[in-house]
Amino acid sequence: MDNLENVKADIVLDTRGLSCPMPILRLKKELKTTEAGKIVEVWSTDPGSKKDMPDFAKKQGDDFLGYVDEAGYTRYLIKKGG
Amino acid sequence: MEQTSLSSQIWKEIKRGYNFIFIKDMPLWVAGIGLGILAILIFLWRYPWGISSGYGNWGNQLYYYLGFGKLAGLKEAPLTPWIHPVSVMNIGMILGATGASMMKGQFSTYLAPTREYFKGFLGGALMGIGSTFANGCIEGGFYTAVGVFSMGGFMMMIGLALGSIVGVKYLIWEMLNWPVKIPTQKPMEDKKTPRIDWSKVYPYIGGGIYILICLSFYVYSAFDKTVVGGMAFFGLWVGFFMQRSRFCLQRTFRNPFMTGDYEMVKAVILSLIIYSAGSAVIKYGFFQPETHGIDHRFWLGSLIGGGIFGLGMVIAGACASSGLWRAGEGNTKVWLAIVGFCTVYPFFKNAVKTTALGPFLGKGVYVVDVLTWTWTPVFYVAFFLAWYLLAVYNEKTEKFVITF
Repeated sequence: MDNLENVKADIVLDTRGLSCPMPILRLKKELKTTEAGKIVEVWSTDPGSKKDMPDFAKKQGDDFLGYVDEAGYTRYLIKKGG
Repeated sequence: MEQTSLSSQIWKEIKRGYNFIFIKDMPLWVAGIGLGILAILIFLWRYPWGISSGYGNWGNQLYYYLGFGKLAGLKEAPLTPWIHPVSVMNIGMILGATGASMMKGQFSTYLAPTREYFKGFLGGALMGIGSTFANGCIEGGFYTAVGVFSMGGFMMMIGLALGSIVGVKYLIWEMLNWPVKIPTQKPMEDKKTPRIDWSKVYPYIGGGIYILICLSFYVYSAFDKTVVGGMAFFGLWVGFFMQRSRFCLQRTFRNPFMTGDYEMVKAVILSLIIYSAGSAVIKYGFFQPETHGIDHRFWLGSLIGGGIFGLGMVIAGACASSGLWRAGEGNTKVWLAIVGFCTVYPFFKNAVKTTALGPFLGKGVYVVDVLTWTWTPVFYVAFFLAWYLLAVYNEKTEKFVITF
């Protein structure tokens, strides 16, 4: 997943410090107004996000591009589906 | 061709096994089966599985040693936390989760915004009150209650669903109108690189925890308390299954109203099929008395308690059991939820026990007394099927998902 490092997100959503279910709920809100094809990047410290994010994107019909571990948090990349 | 020595081949296999058990993501259904079996073993060992009275024990220490023992109806010092069986099991669960998250490299403590700590405490306190009304938390009052054929479990389920709806509505309202601000954090580069790379050390600490607690049987046997040692052992593996799969009873009730997701519903149903079948054998075969574990306050207590508990768990972001494993993997908000739980539980427990509130809330009703062994299995099959179909229907139509 090294090419993910270079993916440029259109929107960055910082949820660091929030725990389940807030990262998902905030992502759901963001995706409502996001145009198809745009990329949302979620920053999360919740270990549960590693499973929740891809599951949620799949359910919503969005494209989960992957995640990148940073020092102390993780960046999740989701492309809004059409 | 280079010949690999036998010992290196065996070592490779051992590493694969370790990876399979402790590192690879565990599906929820595997945990569902594991927990169902553990619940039966715990039931046979001595007590039906519960969690809240362990928190109660911790709270009792607080009341007693701060001089408020009277408020909790304590006449003498409570059992110490390392002797009280449910407390010991809870400690086993926390350590099981800590060990498992350390081995997987998931263990991390992070700070939450201040309001989240307040919500943790408040949610924990609500769960504490709800548990005293229902005479059990989501674990003892719902999961075990349904598993051992106590009517209260079904009533608490309705309460939990209603409470979750209110909780999810609150979270959505808060997000839209009064969002928690994320404090801007300094870039990590500013921090000094620590002398020890803990991520390399953690897996060894985690493994050590597992070995130590598996030895608890021997330690407690030396003090003639083998039963209590067993509780630590069972707690450890409950924590293992829960943390490894992120098994969260709260999610069972919350997510159908939040996103429509019903993965946990399936896992809980599977788990309860195993648990209830096992306890039917145990009860029918007289291995334990039929009414063992039938003490949930049916029906007002279970319903009201479930409602309060359901609201509390959504606000706290964890229930009684997932609170233990989340606390174990380093979630600091949940630590406050446990403090909140322990602070209110002894007072309300005593109030329910000694005032007219108790009889008002109801008493334990055994499903088999009402339906007989002829109809109980039929009822259970119909119940599981109906719950499953409702969850699938909701996932497809999002009929019950709260929109915003």
